[in-house]
Amino acid sequence: MLVLICLGLEGTAHSFGAGIVTDDGSVLSNEWDMLKPAQGGIHPREASRHHSDLGPSIINNALEKAGINYNDIDFIAFSRGPGLGPCLRTTATMARTLSLKLDVPLVDVNHCVAHIEIGCLESRFKDPVTVYVSGGNSQVIAYAGGRFRTFGETLDIAIGNMLDVLGRELGMGFPAGPIVEKLAKQGTNYHSLPYSVKGMDLSYSGMLTAAKKLFSEGIPIPDICFSVQETAFGMLAEIAERAIAHTKKQELLLTGGVARNNRLTEILEGVSKRHDVKFHRVSPSLAGDQGAMIAWNGILQFNAGHTIEISDSQVLPKWRTDEQDIIWRA
Amino acid sequence: MKELIAQGAESVIYRIERWNQYFVLKWRQSKPYLFKDIDSHLRKTRTSRECKMLSVARTLGVRTPAVYAVDLDDFTILMDYIEGVQFKQLVSTLTENQLKGFCLEFGRSIALLHKGDVVHGDPTTSNLIIDSESRLWLIDFGLSEMNATIEMKGVDLHLIHRALETTHWDLQESMLEATIRGYSDSLGKDAMDILSRMEEIRERGRYH
Ligand SMILES: Nc1ncnc2c1ncn2[C@@H]1O[C@H](COP(=O)(O)OP(=O)(O)OP(=O)(O)O)[C@@H](O)[C@H]1O
Ligand SMILES: [Fe+2]
Ligand SMILES: [Mg+2]
Repeated sequence: MLVLICLGLEGTAHSFGAGIVTDDGSVLSNEWDMLKPAQGGIHPREASRHHSDLGPSIINNALEKAGINYNDIDFIAFSRGPGLGPCLRTTATMARTLSLKLDVPLVDVNHCVAHIEIGCLESRFKDPVTVYVSGGNSQVIAYAGGRFRTFGETLDIAIGNMLDVLGRELGMGFPAGPIVEKLAKQGTNYHSLPYSVKGMDLSYSGMLTAAKKLFSEGIPIPDICFSVQETAFGMLAEIAERAIAHTKKQELLLTGGVARNNRLTEILEGVSKRHDVKFHRVSPSLAGDQGAMIAWNGILQFNAGHTIEISDSQVLPKWRTDEQDIIWRA
Repeated sequence: MKELIAQGAESVIYRIERWNQYFVLKWRQSKPYLFKDIDSHLRKTRTSRECKMLSVARTLGVRTPAVYAVDLDDFTILMDYIEGVQFKQLVSTLTENQLKGFCLEFGRSIALLHKGDVVHGDPTTSNLIIDSESRLWLIDFGLSEMNATIEMKGVDLHLIHRALETTHWDLQESMLEATIRGYSDSLGKDAMDILSRMEEIRERGRYH
C-alpha cells in the first residue's frame, strides 16, 4: 500500500521546524531550532532571519532523519497563521518555493488547530477540551458545529510570556518557564497574588505586576515562583473546568510549550478526575511548536480534498482558531 | 431528601425538599489539586460574594433566587429552587420571536446590573433559567462584582458575545443583535462606550 508523505513547515514565532509525517500517522522525523534572544522578547525580524538562515538545513536534516529524498514528498504543508508577520512570510516563501520546485501541492495550516490535532493523534482522543498554553497563547478550545471554538483565553498576556517576562525581571535566562518550575519546588511560603478569572477568560497582567512587587520587597525568588505557579495554574484549571462543565466533553488535552510543566499537568489531572474525564498531556516533542503537527494537519486537510494555490496563499497573522472550517471532522 | 442535579465547574448543586418546598443547596467542594490557601480563599470569597450579589442584583430589579442561608464553614448556600430549564437547552426549541424576546430580556437584565455598577462575571446561557411562566432568572453570581468600571462591563459583554459564538454559533448573529438591543435600549447613551470597549477587548488577547 502506498503511503502519502507530507513535509510540514512551522515558523509562526521564534521556532522553525520541519516534520515529515505519513498519512497513517507515523512521525518519521521532527527537527526544529528555537531562537534564544540575548535579552528581551521576540524580535520578529530577527526571528524571521533565523528561519531563513537555518530553515534549509533544518529541512535537510528532517529528510535525512526520515530516510527520504525530496522526490518522495507528496505535498507541503505550512503554518499560515496566526503568528508574527515576518516569520510567517519567510516560512510561507520556503513552502511555496519547494512546492513549485518539486511540483507538489501546497496546504495551508492553522497553527492552533494543528496543536490540537497532533495531540489527538498521540492520545487517540476524539473530541477533547484542549488547554493550549505557550509563549504566545493561552486558550481553552473545543470542537462544536464544524469549527474549533475558543471558549476561553487570556484577556492580556499569555502564560508563557508572563513566565518569561517575570523570569527576566528575576534575572533568569530565556526561556524562564523551566527555571521557574525548578525553583518553585524549593518555595515554602505562599504569597497571595491577584487571581483573575472572568467567565472562561483569565488575565495575568495584574498577577505579573504583583509578583514583580514581591521581588522588589525582597521576597525570596523560590517563594515568588511557587506563588506564581500555584496562582497562574489554578486560574487555568478553573477555566478548563468551566469549559468541561459547559461542553460536557469527556476528554481533556494539555498541549503547547507550557504543557511541559509537571505541576500544571498534576493540577489538570486533578481536574479530570473531579469531572471523570480522560486526560492526556502531549509529549514534549509534539507539544511545542514543531513541523510534525503542521504535516499531520496538512494530511488531514489533503485527505479531505483541500489544497491551496500559491496565488491564494498569503499569510494570516491574525487567523483565529474558529475561522477555519474543520472539513475533515465534518 | 437530597438530590444531585448538577456538577458545575465550581460546585455541586443539590435539590432538597424542606417544609414542602424545593430549595437548591449549592456546595463549593474542596479541590485537592489546588494549593490549599487558594482553594479555601476561593471557596470563601465566592460563597460570600454569590450570597451578597444575588441580593444586590434583586434590588437592582433582576430576577434571582432568594437566599435563605449561607454556611461559611462548609461553603454552602441555600436558595430558591427555580423550576425551569436552562436557557442554553431551550434555545433550539424556540421560535424566532420567542428567542428574540428572551435575548432582549437577557440584555435588559445585564443593563440593569450595569446601571447599578454591577457585573455578573459569567453571563453564559447556562446561567439563565426560564421558568414555566416564561420568566428569565439570572443565577451563578460567584464571579459578580460591584463598583464595576467600563472595562469590567466591557468584559461582561465580551463574555456574552463569546458564549453566543461558541455555544449558539448557528444563531449567534440574531441572538447577539437582540441581546445588544435589549441592553442598549435600557442603558441609553452609556451603552456606546461599553460596546466599543467590548470590541476592543475582543481583539486584545489575540496573538500579535
Ligand atoms: N436556584 C436554582 N434553581 C434551579 N436550578 C439551579 C439553581 N441554581 C443552579 N441550578 C442548576 O445548576 C447548574 C449549575 O449551577 P451554577 O451555575 O450556580 O453552578 P456553578 O458551579 O457555579 O456552575 P459553572 O459551571 O457555571 O461555574 C445551573 O446551570 C442550573 O441548571
Ligand atoms: Fe504554538
Ligand atoms: Mg453556572
